[in-house]
Amino acid sequence: MDKVVHIKINGHHIRARAGQTVMEAAKAAGIDIPSLCHHPAVKPLGACRICLVEIERQRGLQPACTFPVMEGMRVETESPKVVAERKFLLELLFSEGNHYCPFCESSGDCELQALAYRYGLDHWVYPNPGEPKPVDGTREYFIMDHNRCVLCRRCIRACSELAANNTLGVIFRGAKTKVCADGDVPFGQSSCVTCGTCLQICPTGALIDRQSAYAGRESQVERTKSVCMFCSVGCGTEIITRSGRVLRVEGEWEEHNNGVLCERGRFLPFKEQRQRIQSPMIRKDGRLQPVTWEEALEAMAQVIKKTPNKKIGAWTTCRTLNLTLSEFVAVFLGKLGANVGVLELTLARFKLPMGGSLNDLLSAQTILVTGADPLLDHPVIGYHIKRACMKGARLILASDNGSQMKRFAHKIYPLSELNKAIRLCQESDAPIVLYGEETPPDQAEKLALLQKKAHFIPLFPESNGFHAKVLGLRANYAPNQMDMVYLLVADTALSAEKIKQAREAKFLAVQASYHGPLTEAADVVLPALLWYEQEGSLYNLEGKKVAVRRAVPLPEGIIPENEVLTQLAVRL
Amino acid sequence: MTKIKIATDWLAACAGCHMSVLDMDERLVELLDKIEITSCPITDLKHPPKEGVTVGILTGAVNNTSHLEVSKMMRERCQILVSLGDCSVLGGIPLMRNQVNMEEALRRAYVETESTVDGFIPRSEELAKPIPARPLDQVVKVDVYLPGCPPSAEAIYFVLSELLEGRVPVLKDQVLKYD
Repeated sequence: MDKVVHIKINGHHIRARAGQTVMEAAKAAGIDIPSLCHHPAVKPLGACRICLVEIERQRGLQPACTFPVMEGMRVETESPKVVAERKFLLELLFSEGNHYCPFCESSGDCELQALAYRYGLDHWVYPNPGEPKPVDGTREYFIMDHNRCVLCRRCIRACSELAANNTLGVIFRGAKTKVCADGDVPFGQSSCVTCGTCLQICPTGALIDRQSAYAGRESQVERTKSVCMFCSVGCGTEIITRSGRVLRVEGEWEEHNNGVLCERGRFLPFKEQRQRIQSPMIRKDGRLQPVTWEEALEAMAQVIKKTPNKKIGAWTTCRTLNLTLSEFVAVFLGKLGANVGVLELTLARFKLPMGGSLNDLLSAQTILVTGADPLLDHPVIGYHIKRACMKGARLILASDNGSQMKRFAHKIYPLSELNKAIRLCQESDAPIVLYGEETPPDQAEKLALLQKKAHFIPLFPESNGFHAKVLGLRANYAPNQMDMVYLLVADTALSAEKIKQAREAKFLAVQASYHGPLTEAADVVLPALLWYEQEGSLYNLEGKKVAVRRAVPLPEGIIPENEVLTQLAVRL
Repeated sequence: MTKIKIATDWLAACAGCHMSVLDMDERLVELLDKIEITSCPITDLKHPPKEGVTVGILTGAVNNTSHLEVSKMMRERCQILVSLGDCSVLGGIPLMRNQVNMEEALRRAYVETESTVDGFIPRSEELAKPIPARPLDQVVKVDVYLPGCPPSAEAIYFVLSELLEGRVPVLKDQVLKYD
């Protein structure tokens, strides 16, 4: 238990914890101290000075965000002296750059503007010299307008502390100071990994999302807490919608990912170009034609009834939510005794204890990554590993190909020499082992040696791989040997090889979100929901049950996958 | 009771601020019991009377030599000068022009506009000369600032009411907006 410190803020007695800053103690007591550069997710810096407060027996005003509490301290947060100083600071901030609100994308959601309103700035005291600064539009998804930047350095701290990428910094001095990437190269050509955390943390309109710019202010949008479904890490997200349209996705600050997402979770979903499947379809006269759900399910049921169980095959993507996955197994394995499986690998051959947590990873001393490339396939895990390394963790890599983690590894072994890596781990108290499919079976067994001391994190290729593995589903895809095949692919695109095999089935039923080469070959097509339309849960790679929430109304004419399976079962 | 005299005029403005004055609707009629609008851009009398007014209101930024004259005349003839709207208070949209060369701006506006045929830059001696755009308070002393693009009818009504009560308006919450 931390030591209690008694302080007085604005005349109120407050019990604070030793080690807290004045800002934290005030916040805990419900006293708001304004700030611009401060953000709970990154370390306090004291760059903007807006949080200056009057502290008894301290010379001058002190920044609340960095000043630690001390026994008997007396603090005034809105005294005339403090307010006058804050107004002066705001006037200075407005004297540089372009902080003109009417043509700013962030007007209404801008923290600088909110402060100016709060302190009643009705005009700019110091003439703005209007020296234009550059606008950098070289990044694909968002723009940096240096004229709107107040140099709070939140983006820089997010880049180094949260994404552990250290791309951003500042260049030049005084009025010429500006945020730059890699010592001033265009952002688009820098070492930026497009995680978008800087975009999310920016307090002004300096960083602008191309996709959702001018599409809605905070007061006009809705936020739905959900989970990213684009890999098995299960990062907490907020889906931002307006009138049933998804504007953008942000990382949840309170979850393990601390607001960080990766390009795949934050930006790529919005590049979707495929055409949505709107209603069930049946192949009639050689061509797919829209039909009712009843007709489509009846057609499927008829074929299933006529086909011997051994000749029925059903495969689903591991991105399927828990309820649907259970229903899928209940119908096709439980009721029909058909061949069931998943489309992606599930680390099925690894017999290792589950349940290593991502928080353990962040505080790990020794990390072993084998047969996987987290920065490529599970980027946020990659960032977590880099964060741990920055805090002094040793990264041991077992990899045969050019893993992107190589640059950060302390030791690299070929997969055939995994035993050497394991020996190194044994010297450590509580190593974290992250393993992927590329670990060869004979080597994988050796990982069991670490069972007593290590925490294991399986890097499942797809979001609900954990549940698929628990249900015993294997990647035993063989539709070409079946007479009746049901594929639940949702919005995943199958490889050309898998599609070719599926075409060989006598009767092919596909449940998918988008038209594509697979649905073109199908006899029955059922529409499926998208990531932001799903409601349910999945298990992330920690084995933690996380809630996926529907951010928009259910699209008309589409029935959730689990209900479709129930309705199909009724007909069998 | 003698009515308080008010004069308004616009500089480099889009007329939106004056529209917002009209947006006071029936409150404008109510105000007319207490005030007299001596001159404004939509009355016959365009300039504030020589004998002066109590309140002068200017909208728009200063961006040519005529604006200099208009603002100086208003300052001389009023006791309280209200700078109304973002262009007047902060420089606004006209300020964006300062980022390019003046000749380039004129050529773009009068010659290169997509809809212009045989365009030319007017150079008559009678015309005012363009100067770099600036907010009103860089030219004359301003007593009351009311930002907004445009300020809402509520904000304008608030400022006038406060002035009529003999108070200096202090803007906050809903009447303080920059857009």
